[in-house]
Amino acid sequence: MGDSQYSFSLTTFSPSGKLVQIEHALTAVGSGQTSLGIKAANGVVIATEKKLPSILVDETSVQKIQSLTPNIGVVYSGMGPDFRVLVRKSRKQAEQYHRLYKEPIPVTQLVRETATVMQEFTQSGGVRPFGVSLLVAGFDDKGPQLYQVDPSGSYFSWKASAMGKNVSNAKTFLEKRYTDDMELDDAVHTAILTLKEGFEGQISSKNIEIGIIGADKKFRVLTPGEIDDYLAEVE
Amino acid sequence: MSNSTVDVPLQGGFSFDLCRRNDMLSKKGVNPPSYRKTGTTIVGLIFQDGVILGADTRATEGPIVCDKNCEKIHYMAPNIYCCGAGTAADTEAVTDMVSSQLQLHRYHTGRESRVVTALTLLKKHLFNYQGYVQAALVLGGVDCTGPHLHTIYPHGSTDTLPFATMGSGSLAAMAMFESKYKEGLTKDEGISLVVEAICSGIFNDLGSGSNVDVCVITKGHKEYLRNHLLPNPRTYISSKGYSFPKKTEVLLTKITPLKEKVEIIEAGEAMEE
Repeated sequence: MGDSQYSFSLTTFSPSGKLVQIEHALTAVGSGQTSLGIKAANGVVIATEKKLPSILVDETSVQKIQSLTPNIGVVYSGMGPDFRVLVRKSRKQAEQYHRLYKEPIPVTQLVRETATVMQEFTQSGGVRPFGVSLLVAGFDDKGPQLYQVDPSGSYFSWKASAMGKNVSNAKTFLEKRYTDDMELDDAVHTAILTLKEGFEGQISSKNIEIGIIGADKKFRVLTPGEIDDYLAEVE
Repeated sequence: MSNSTVDVPLQGGFSFDLCRRNDMLSKKGVNPPSYRKTGTTIVGLIFQDGVILGADTRATEGPIVCDKNCEKIHYMAPNIYCCGAGTAADTEAVTDMVSSQLQLHRYHTGRESRVVTALTLLKKHLFNYQGYVQAALVLGGVDCTGPHLHTIYPHGSTDTLPFATMGSGSLAAMAMFESKYKEGLTKDEGISLVVEAICSGIFNDLGSGSNVDVCVITKGHKEYLRNHLLPNPRTYISSKGYSFPKKTEVLLTKITPLKEKVEIIEAGEAMEE
Protein backbone atom coordinates (compact mmCIF):
# COMPACT_ATOMS: atom_id res chain seq x y z
CA MET A 1 0.00 0.00 0.00
CA GLY A 2 1.22 3.49 -0.68
CA ASP A 3 0.41 4.52 -4.21
CA SER A 4 2.28 7.77 -4.89
CA GLN A 5 -0.97 9.72 -4.90
CA TYR A 6 -2.06 8.45 -1.50
CA SER A 7 1.16 7.92 0.33
CA PHE A 8 0.37 10.84 2.58
CA SER A 9 -2.00 10.53 5.52
CA LEU A 10 -5.67 11.22 4.87
CA THR A 11 -6.06 12.33 8.47
CA THR A 12 -4.51 15.78 8.72
CA PHE A 13 -4.70 18.49 11.36
CA SER A 14 -7.10 21.40 11.02
CA PRO A 15 -5.95 24.92 11.94
CA SER A 16 -7.72 24.61 15.28
CA GLY A 17 -5.61 21.59 16.17
CA LYS A 18 -8.30 18.97 15.67
CA LEU A 19 -8.19 15.86 13.54
CA VAL A 20 -11.38 16.33 11.59
CA GLN A 21 -11.44 12.77 10.24
CA ILE A 22 -11.52 11.43 13.76
CA GLU A 23 -14.34 13.77 14.68
CA HIS A 24 -16.24 12.44 11.67
CA ALA A 25 -15.43 8.90 12.72
CA LEU A 26 -16.92 9.63 16.12
CA THR A 27 -20.02 10.92 14.38
CA ALA A 28 -20.23 7.65 12.48
CA VAL A 29 -20.05 5.88 15.84
CA GLY A 30 -22.68 8.18 17.28
CA SER A 31 -25.15 7.22 14.60
CA GLY A 32 -24.59 3.52 15.14
CA GLN A 33 -26.81 1.29 17.26
CA THR A 34 -26.61 1.74 21.01
CA SER A 35 -24.32 -0.49 22.98
CA LEU A 36 -23.33 -0.39 26.63
CA GLY A 37 -21.25 -2.11 29.25
CA ILE A 38 -21.43 -2.37 33.05
CA LYS A 39 -18.73 -3.59 35.40
CA ALA A 40 -20.15 -5.43 38.39
CA ALA A 41 -18.34 -6.54 41.54
CA ASN A 42 -17.98 -10.10 40.25
CA GLY A 43 -18.14 -9.74 36.48
CA VAL A 44 -18.85 -7.57 33.45
CA VAL A 45 -21.86 -7.38 31.13
CA ILE A 46 -21.94 -5.87 27.63
CA ALA A 47 -25.07 -5.47 25.57
CA THR A 48 -26.20 -4.02 22.28
CA GLU A 49 -29.28 -3.45 20.15
CA LYS A 50 -29.50 -5.76 17.21
CA LYS A 51 -31.74 -3.89 14.78
CA LEU A 52 -31.72 -5.66 11.45
CA PRO A 53 -32.44 -3.77 8.22
CA SER A 54 -35.39 -6.04 7.36
CA ILE A 55 -37.46 -8.83 8.88
CA LEU A 56 -36.15 -11.06 6.10
CA VAL A 57 -32.61 -11.04 7.57
CA ASP A 58 -31.75 -14.24 9.44
CA GLU A 59 -30.98 -12.85 12.89
CA THR A 60 -29.11 -15.98 13.98
CA SER A 61 -26.40 -15.24 11.44
CA VAL A 62 -25.66 -11.82 12.91
CA GLN A 63 -23.37 -11.80 15.92
CA LYS A 64 -22.42 -8.37 17.16
CA ILE A 65 -20.78 -9.48 20.39
CA GLN A 66 -17.59 -11.49 19.76
CA SER A 67 -15.06 -13.12 22.03
CA LEU A 68 -11.38 -12.29 21.55
CA THR A 69 -10.02 -14.83 24.03
CA PRO A 70 -11.82 -17.22 26.38
CA ASN A 71 -11.91 -14.48 29.01
CA ILE A 72 -12.28 -11.29 26.94
CA GLY A 73 -15.32 -10.20 24.89
CA VAL A 74 -16.04 -7.13 22.80
CA VAL A 75 -19.01 -5.20 21.42
CA TYR A 76 -19.12 -2.16 19.14
CA SER A 77 -21.07 0.80 17.90
CA GLY A 78 -20.54 1.99 14.35
CA MET A 79 -19.51 0.20 11.17
CA GLY A 80 -19.82 -3.58 11.31
CA PRO A 81 -17.16 -4.39 8.67
CA ASP A 82 -14.56 -2.25 10.49
CA PHE A 83 -15.39 -4.17 13.66
CA ARG A 84 -14.78 -7.48 11.91
CA VAL A 85 -11.32 -6.41 10.83
CA LEU A 86 -10.43 -5.23 14.34
CA VAL A 87 -11.68 -8.45 15.92
CA ARG A 88 -9.54 -10.47 13.55
CA LYS A 89 -6.44 -8.42 14.31
CA SER A 90 -7.04 -8.49 18.07
CA ARG A 91 -7.52 -12.24 18.13
CA LYS A 92 -4.27 -12.70 16.26
CA GLN A 93 -2.42 -10.40 18.67
CA ALA A 94 -3.84 -12.27 21.66
CA GLU A 95 -2.64 -15.56 20.18
CA GLN A 96 0.82 -14.15 19.42
CA TYR A 97 1.10 -12.90 22.99
CA HIS A 98 0.17 -16.35 24.24
CA ARG A 99 2.68 -18.02 21.91
CA LEU A 100 5.44 -15.76 23.17
CA TYR A 101 4.76 -15.64 26.91
CA LYS A 102 2.66 -18.78 27.45
CA GLU A 103 0.21 -16.78 29.56
CA PRO A 104 -3.28 -15.58 28.60
CA ILE A 105 -3.06 -11.95 27.53
CA PRO A 106 -4.08 -9.48 30.28
CA VAL A 107 -7.06 -7.31 29.36
CA THR A 108 -5.06 -4.05 29.50
CA GLN A 109 -2.46 -5.40 27.09
CA LEU A 110 -5.02 -6.51 24.52
CA VAL A 111 -6.83 -3.18 24.76
CA ARG A 112 -3.54 -1.33 24.32
CA GLU A 113 -2.57 -3.35 21.26
CA THR A 114 -6.01 -2.89 19.67
CA ALA A 115 -5.85 0.82 20.40
CA THR A 116 -2.40 0.93 18.81
CA VAL A 117 -3.80 -0.57 15.63
CA MET A 118 -6.59 1.98 15.60
CA GLN A 119 -4.11 4.82 16.09
CA GLU A 120 -1.92 3.56 13.25
CA PHE A 121 -4.82 3.99 10.90
CA THR A 122 -4.98 7.69 11.81
CA GLN A 123 -1.35 8.25 10.92
CA SER A 124 -0.63 6.06 7.91
CA GLY A 125 -0.76 6.68 4.20
CA GLY A 126 -3.85 5.90 2.21
CA VAL A 127 -6.07 4.68 5.03
CA ARG A 128 -8.94 6.12 6.99
CA PRO A 129 -9.66 5.77 10.73
CA PHE A 130 -11.91 2.93 11.89
CA GLY A 131 -15.55 3.92 12.20
CA VAL A 132 -16.17 1.98 15.42
CA SER A 133 -15.86 2.44 19.14
CA LEU A 134 -15.29 -0.75 21.07
CA LEU A 135 -16.33 -1.83 24.54
CA VAL A 136 -13.94 -4.54 25.73
CA ALA A 137 -15.05 -6.64 28.71
CA GLY A 138 -12.63 -9.00 30.42
CA PHE A 139 -11.84 -10.84 33.62
CA ASP A 140 -8.22 -11.61 34.50
CA ASP A 141 -6.01 -11.59 37.59
CA LYS A 142 -6.82 -7.94 38.21
CA GLY A 143 -10.53 -8.70 38.37
CA PRO A 144 -13.37 -7.61 36.09
CA GLN A 145 -12.51 -4.79 33.68
CA LEU A 146 -14.36 -2.71 31.09
CA TYR A 147 -12.57 -0.55 28.52
CA GLN A 148 -13.82 1.74 25.79
CA VAL A 149 -11.61 2.27 22.72
CA ASP A 150 -12.29 5.17 20.35
CA PRO A 151 -11.42 5.62 16.64
CA SER A 152 -8.55 7.89 17.64
CA GLY A 153 -6.93 5.04 19.54
CA SER A 154 -7.54 6.44 23.00
CA TYR A 155 -8.91 4.06 25.59
CA PHE A 156 -10.42 4.49 29.01
CA SER A 157 -11.46 2.15 31.77
CA TRP A 158 -15.08 2.58 32.75
CA LYS A 159 -17.33 1.37 35.53
CA ALA A 160 -20.23 1.71 33.12
CA SER A 161 -20.39 3.24 29.67
CA ALA A 162 -22.61 3.56 26.63
CA MET A 163 -22.02 4.48 22.98
CA GLY A 164 -24.03 4.98 19.82
CA LYS A 165 -27.36 6.65 19.15
CA ASN A 166 -28.76 7.07 22.60
CA VAL A 167 -25.54 7.73 24.43
CA SER A 168 -26.48 10.77 26.55
CA ASN A 169 -29.75 9.30 27.85
CA ALA A 170 -28.13 5.96 28.45
CA LYS A 171 -25.20 7.46 30.35
CA THR A 172 -27.51 9.55 32.54
CA PHE A 173 -29.56 6.46 33.29
CA LEU A 174 -26.43 4.49 34.15
CA GLU A 175 -25.06 7.24 36.37
CA LYS A 176 -28.26 7.10 38.40
CA ARG A 177 -28.45 3.36 38.56
CA TYR A 178 -24.84 2.32 39.01
CA THR A 179 -23.56 1.11 42.38
CA ASP A 180 -20.09 -0.17 43.13
CA ASP A 181 -21.25 -3.38 44.79
CA MET A 182 -23.64 -4.49 42.04
CA GLU A 183 -23.79 -8.21 41.35
CA LEU A 184 -23.60 -9.58 37.80
CA ASP A 185 -27.33 -10.42 37.68
CA ASP A 186 -28.27 -6.89 38.79
CA ALA A 187 -25.92 -5.52 36.17
CA VAL A 188 -27.68 -7.54 33.45
CA HIS A 189 -31.05 -6.17 34.60
CA THR A 190 -29.71 -2.63 34.60
CA ALA A 191 -28.26 -3.14 31.13
CA ILE A 192 -31.62 -4.34 29.80
CA LEU A 193 -33.42 -1.39 31.40
CA THR A 194 -30.91 1.03 29.91
CA LEU A 195 -31.39 -0.45 26.45
CA LYS A 196 -35.13 -0.27 26.92
CA GLU A 197 -34.93 3.47 27.59
CA GLY A 198 -34.16 4.42 24.03
CA PHE A 199 -35.57 1.39 22.30
CA GLU A 200 -37.87 1.93 19.33
CA GLY A 201 -40.43 -0.82 19.24
CA GLN A 202 -40.78 -3.90 21.37
CA ILE A 203 -37.64 -5.22 23.06
CA SER A 204 -37.20 -8.99 22.75
CA SER A 205 -34.49 -11.67 22.72
CA LYS A 206 -34.36 -11.35 18.93
CA ASN A 207 -33.31 -7.72 18.81
CA ILE A 208 -30.77 -7.42 21.61
CA GLU A 209 -27.55 -9.25 22.30
CA ILE A 210 -25.95 -9.65 25.75
CA GLY A 211 -22.53 -10.99 26.67
CA ILE A 212 -21.36 -11.71 30.20
CA ILE A 213 -18.22 -12.78 31.96
CA GLY A 214 -18.35 -13.90 35.57
CA ALA A 215 -15.94 -15.15 38.20
CA ASP A 216 -15.44 -18.32 36.14
CA LYS A 217 -13.48 -16.10 33.70
CA LYS A 218 -15.32 -17.48 30.68
CA PHE A 219 -16.86 -14.98 28.32
CA ARG A 220 -20.08 -16.08 26.69
CA VAL A 221 -22.99 -14.63 24.75
CA LEU A 222 -26.36 -15.33 26.33
CA THR A 223 -28.74 -17.55 24.39
CA PRO A 224 -32.10 -16.08 23.32
CA GLY A 225 -33.72 -18.32 25.96
CA GLU A 226 -31.63 -16.80 28.74
CA ILE A 227 -32.32 -13.29 27.47
CA ASP A 228 -36.05 -14.06 27.55
CA ASP A 229 -35.71 -15.13 31.19
CA TYR A 230 -33.98 -11.88 32.12
CA LEU A 231 -36.55 -9.86 30.18
CA ALA A 232 -39.34 -11.60 32.06
CA GLU A 233 -37.65 -10.77 35.37
CA VAL A 234 -37.34 -7.14 34.38
CA GLU A 235 -41.03 -6.81 33.50
CA MET B 1 1.56 -0.03 5.04
CA SER B 2 1.31 0.55 8.75
CA ASN B 3 4.29 0.43 11.07
CA SER B 4 4.03 -2.42 13.50
CA THR B 5 4.81 -1.32 17.02
CA VAL B 6 4.28 -4.78 18.44
CA ASP B 7 7.50 -6.64 19.09
CA VAL B 8 7.09 -10.15 17.71
CA PRO B 9 10.01 -12.41 16.84
CA LEU B 10 11.20 -12.13 13.21
CA GLN B 11 8.95 -14.05 10.89
CA GLY B 12 10.22 -15.71 7.76
CA GLY B 13 11.66 -18.83 9.38
CA PHE B 14 14.78 -20.78 8.73
CA SER B 15 17.70 -18.98 7.08
CA PHE B 16 19.62 -21.32 4.81
CA ASP B 17 22.67 -19.01 4.59
CA LEU B 18 25.06 -21.18 6.57
CA CYS B 19 24.12 -24.59 5.16
CA ARG B 20 26.87 -24.66 2.55
CA ARG B 21 29.50 -23.70 5.06
CA ASN B 22 28.29 -26.36 7.49
CA ASP B 23 28.43 -28.99 4.74
CA MET B 24 31.98 -28.00 3.87
CA LEU B 25 33.02 -28.11 7.52
CA SER B 26 31.57 -31.55 8.16
CA LYS B 27 33.37 -32.89 5.08
CA LYS B 28 36.57 -31.66 6.70
CA GLY B 29 35.68 -33.49 9.91
CA VAL B 30 34.26 -30.64 12.02
CA ASN B 31 30.78 -31.72 13.01
CA PRO B 32 28.11 -29.43 14.41
CA PRO B 33 27.15 -30.09 18.07
CA SER B 34 24.50 -32.75 18.44
CA TYR B 35 21.06 -31.61 19.50
CA ARG B 36 18.49 -33.12 21.76
CA LYS B 37 16.56 -35.86 20.01
CA THR B 38 13.65 -37.68 21.44
CA GLY B 39 14.73 -41.16 20.25
CA THR B 40 11.27 -42.36 21.03
CA THR B 41 8.50 -44.79 20.61
CA ILE B 42 5.20 -43.12 19.74
CA VAL B 43 2.04 -45.00 18.77
CA GLY B 44 -1.59 -44.41 18.00
CA LEU B 45 -4.58 -46.61 17.34
CA ILE B 46 -8.26 -46.24 16.57
CA PHE B 47 -10.66 -48.11 18.84
CA GLN B 48 -14.42 -48.32 18.74
CA ASP B 49 -15.14 -44.95 20.39
CA GLY B 50 -12.17 -42.90 19.24
CA VAL B 51 -8.39 -42.67 19.25
CA ILE B 52 -5.70 -43.67 21.76
CA LEU B 53 -2.21 -42.17 21.57
CA GLY B 54 0.81 -43.43 23.50
CA ALA B 55 4.41 -42.36 23.97
CA ASP B 56 7.48 -43.13 26.06
CA THR B 57 9.15 -40.37 28.08
CA ARG B 58 12.88 -40.51 27.36
CA ALA B 59 14.71 -37.66 25.64
CA THR B 60 18.28 -38.32 24.46
CA GLU B 61 21.23 -36.15 23.52
CA GLY B 62 23.41 -38.58 21.61
CA PRO B 63 24.29 -41.32 24.11
CA ILE B 64 23.03 -39.40 27.15
CA VAL B 65 19.51 -39.43 28.53
CA CYS B 66 18.85 -35.75 29.04
CA ASP B 67 15.23 -35.96 30.21
CA LYS B 68 13.91 -39.02 31.99
CA ASN B 69 10.31 -37.87 32.02
CA CYS B 70 9.55 -35.56 29.13
CA GLU B 71 6.10 -35.03 27.58
CA LYS B 72 5.81 -36.20 24.02
CA ILE B 73 2.07 -35.98 23.62
CA HIS B 74 1.34 -32.38 22.65
CA TYR B 75 -1.93 -30.53 22.82
CA MET B 76 -3.23 -29.29 19.47
CA ALA B 77 -6.91 -28.64 20.14
CA PRO B 78 -9.38 -29.79 22.81
CA ASN B 79 -10.18 -32.78 20.59
CA ILE B 80 -6.81 -33.31 18.88
CA TYR B 81 -3.45 -34.42 20.30
CA CYS B 82 -0.15 -35.05 18.58
CA CYS B 83 2.81 -37.26 19.53
CA GLY B 84 6.21 -36.07 18.33
CA ALA B 85 9.43 -37.91 17.51
CA GLY B 86 12.67 -36.47 16.17
CA THR B 87 14.30 -33.26 17.31
CA ALA B 88 12.50 -32.18 20.50
CA ALA B 89 12.67 -28.45 19.71
CA ASP B 90 11.22 -29.03 16.25
CA THR B 91 8.29 -31.13 17.45
CA GLU B 92 7.45 -28.67 20.22
CA ALA B 93 7.73 -25.56 18.07
CA VAL B 94 5.75 -27.01 15.17
CA THR B 95 2.93 -28.39 17.32
CA ASP B 96 2.77 -25.14 19.30
CA MET B 97 2.56 -23.06 16.14
CA VAL B 98 -0.15 -25.17 14.53
CA SER B 99 -2.07 -25.29 17.81
CA SER B 100 -2.09 -21.49 17.79
CA GLN B 101 -3.26 -21.39 14.17
CA LEU B 102 -6.04 -23.87 14.97
CA GLN B 103 -7.19 -21.66 17.86
CA LEU B 104 -7.47 -18.64 15.56
CA HIS B 105 -9.30 -20.76 13.02
CA ARG B 106 -11.76 -21.87 15.72
CA TYR B 107 -12.50 -18.25 16.58
CA HIS B 108 -13.17 -17.37 12.98
CA THR B 109 -15.35 -20.35 12.15
CA GLY B 110 -17.01 -20.87 15.54
CA ARG B 111 -16.58 -24.63 15.08
CA GLU B 112 -14.58 -27.48 16.55
CA SER B 113 -11.25 -28.06 14.74
CA ARG B 114 -10.98 -30.99 12.37
CA VAL B 115 -8.06 -33.42 12.38
CA VAL B 116 -7.49 -32.94 8.64
CA THR B 117 -7.07 -29.20 9.25
CA ALA B 118 -4.27 -29.86 11.73
CA LEU B 119 -2.83 -32.43 9.34
CA THR B 120 -2.76 -30.04 6.38
CA LEU B 121 -1.27 -27.16 8.40
CA LEU B 122 1.49 -29.44 9.70
CA LYS B 123 2.37 -31.04 6.39
CA LYS B 124 2.45 -27.71 4.59
CA HIS B 125 4.91 -26.34 7.11
CA LEU B 126 7.14 -29.43 7.05
CA PHE B 127 7.18 -29.61 3.26
CA ASN B 128 8.09 -25.93 3.08
CA TYR B 129 11.24 -26.65 5.08
CA GLN B 130 12.13 -29.64 2.92
CA GLY B 131 12.77 -31.98 5.83
CA TYR B 132 15.03 -29.63 7.77
CA VAL B 133 12.38 -29.40 10.49
CA GLN B 134 12.93 -32.90 11.84
CA ALA B 135 9.59 -33.71 13.32
CA ALA B 136 7.92 -37.08 12.81
CA LEU B 137 4.41 -36.90 14.21
CA VAL B 138 1.49 -39.15 15.05
CA LEU B 139 -1.64 -37.00 14.96
CA GLY B 140 -4.91 -38.29 16.37
CA GLY B 141 -8.28 -36.84 17.26
CA VAL B 142 -12.04 -37.10 17.07
CA ASP B 143 -14.08 -34.48 15.25
CA CYS B 144 -17.53 -34.21 13.68
CA THR B 145 -16.52 -36.62 10.89
CA GLY B 146 -15.33 -39.32 13.29
CA PRO B 147 -12.03 -40.54 14.76
CA HIS B 148 -8.87 -40.02 12.69
CA LEU B 149 -5.26 -41.12 13.00
CA HIS B 150 -2.41 -39.87 10.79
CA THR B 151 1.36 -40.08 10.63
CA ILE B 152 3.41 -37.19 9.29
CA TYR B 153 7.01 -37.60 8.14
CA PRO B 154 9.66 -34.87 8.35
CA HIS B 155 9.56 -34.22 4.60
CA GLY B 156 5.84 -33.61 4.66
CA SER B 157 4.25 -36.86 3.50
CA THR B 158 1.35 -38.29 5.47
CA ASP B 159 -0.43 -41.59 6.02
CA THR B 160 -3.90 -42.30 7.32
CA LEU B 161 -3.99 -45.53 9.27
CA PRO B 162 -6.01 -47.47 11.83
CA PHE B 163 -2.83 -48.00 13.89
CA ALA B 164 0.58 -46.35 13.57
CA THR B 165 3.99 -46.17 15.20
CA MET B 166 6.90 -43.74 14.73
CA GLY B 167 10.34 -43.16 16.18
CA SER B 168 13.36 -45.35 16.82
CA GLY B 169 11.23 -47.86 18.70
CA SER B 170 8.58 -48.03 15.99
CA LEU B 171 9.53 -51.50 14.80
CA ALA B 172 9.31 -52.97 18.28
CA ALA B 173 5.94 -51.30 18.84
CA MET B 174 4.65 -52.22 15.38
CA ALA B 175 5.43 -55.87 16.09
CA MET B 176 2.98 -55.74 19.02
CA PHE B 177 0.33 -53.96 16.97
CA GLU B 178 0.59 -56.24 13.96
CA SER B 179 0.06 -59.32 16.06
CA LYS B 180 -2.63 -58.07 18.43
CA TYR B 181 -4.60 -55.27 16.73
CA LYS B 182 -8.18 -55.90 15.64
CA GLU B 183 -11.05 -53.61 14.75
CA GLY B 184 -13.60 -52.61 17.36
CA LEU B 185 -11.32 -52.71 20.41
CA THR B 186 -12.85 -51.50 23.67
CA LYS B 187 -11.20 -48.69 25.60
CA ASP B 188 -9.48 -50.98 28.10
CA GLU B 189 -8.26 -53.37 25.41
CA GLY B 190 -6.99 -50.40 23.43
CA ILE B 191 -5.13 -48.89 26.37
CA SER B 192 -3.51 -52.18 27.31
CA LEU B 193 -2.42 -52.78 23.68
CA VAL B 194 -0.92 -49.29 23.48
CA VAL B 195 0.87 -49.85 26.79
CA GLU B 196 2.25 -53.17 25.54
CA ALA B 197 3.51 -51.56 22.36
CA ILE B 198 5.23 -48.70 24.20
CA CYS B 199 6.74 -51.07 26.74
CA SER B 200 8.07 -53.16 23.86
CA GLY B 201 9.76 -50.00 22.59
CA ILE B 202 11.00 -49.00 26.05
CA PHE B 203 12.66 -52.33 26.78
CA ASN B 204 14.00 -53.16 23.32
CA ASP B 205 15.11 -49.78 21.97
CA LEU B 206 17.91 -47.72 23.44
CA GLY B 207 16.40 -44.42 22.37
CA SER B 208 13.18 -45.07 24.32
CA GLY B 209 12.71 -45.60 28.00
CA SER B 210 11.28 -44.52 31.33
CA ASN B 211 7.51 -44.22 31.56
CA VAL B 212 4.41 -44.62 29.41
CA ASP B 213 2.09 -41.68 28.62
CA VAL B 214 -1.36 -42.41 27.22
CA CYS B 215 -4.02 -40.11 25.81
CA VAL B 216 -7.57 -41.32 25.09
CA ILE B 217 -9.73 -39.10 22.87
CA THR B 218 -13.43 -39.80 22.32
CA LYS B 219 -16.29 -37.67 21.06
CA GLY B 220 -16.56 -34.70 23.35
CA HIS B 221 -14.12 -36.05 25.94
CA LYS B 222 -10.41 -36.62 26.41
CA GLU B 223 -8.27 -38.28 29.09
CA TYR B 224 -4.62 -37.41 29.29
CA LEU B 225 -3.04 -40.15 31.40
CA ARG B 226 0.39 -38.75 32.15
CA ASN B 227 2.74 -41.47 33.43
CA HIS B 228 0.03 -44.08 33.11
CA LEU B 229 2.63 -46.76 33.74
CA LEU B 230 5.99 -46.50 35.46
CA PRO B 231 7.86 -49.68 34.55
CA ASN B 232 11.28 -48.19 35.41
CA PRO B 233 11.06 -46.94 38.96
CA ARG B 234 14.26 -45.42 40.29
CA THR B 235 15.32 -46.34 43.75
CA TYR B 236 17.18 -43.28 44.86
CA ILE B 237 18.44 -43.79 48.37
CA SER B 238 18.85 -46.85 50.50
CA SER B 239 16.22 -46.52 53.20
CA LYS B 240 18.73 -47.31 55.89
CA GLY B 241 21.12 -44.60 54.73
CA TYR B 242 24.79 -45.10 54.02
CA SER B 243 27.36 -45.00 56.81
CA PHE B 244 30.98 -44.35 56.01
CA PRO B 245 33.78 -44.50 58.67
CA LYS B 246 34.45 -40.98 59.98
CA LYS B 247 38.12 -40.71 58.96
CA THR B 248 40.93 -42.72 57.46
CA GLU B 249 43.11 -44.61 59.96
CA VAL B 250 46.67 -43.31 60.60
CA LEU B 251 49.11 -46.17 60.38
CA LEU B 252 52.56 -44.51 60.42
CA THR B 253 54.04 -40.96 60.89
CA LYS B 254 57.47 -40.11 59.40
CA ILE B 255 58.84 -36.59 58.72
CA THR B 256 61.73 -36.11 56.25
CA PRO B 257 63.14 -32.53 55.96
CA LEU B 258 63.92 -31.65 52.34
CA LYS B 259 66.82 -29.13 52.72
CA GLU B 260 68.56 -27.68 55.79
CA LYS B 261 69.19 -24.25 54.35
CA VAL B 262 68.13 -22.19 51.42
CA GLU B 263 70.87 -21.22 48.92
CA ILE B 264 70.99 -17.60 47.69
CA ILE B 265 72.09 -17.02 44.14
CA GLU B 266 73.93 -13.78 43.30
CA ALA B 267 71.31 -11.35 41.95
CA GLY B 268 71.80 -10.39 38.33
CA GLU B 269 71.61 -6.86 36.96
CA ALA B 270 68.53 -4.95 37.92
CA MET B 271 65.93 -4.78 35.20
CA GLU B 272 65.89 -1.59 33.26
CA GLU B 273 62.74 0.37 33.66
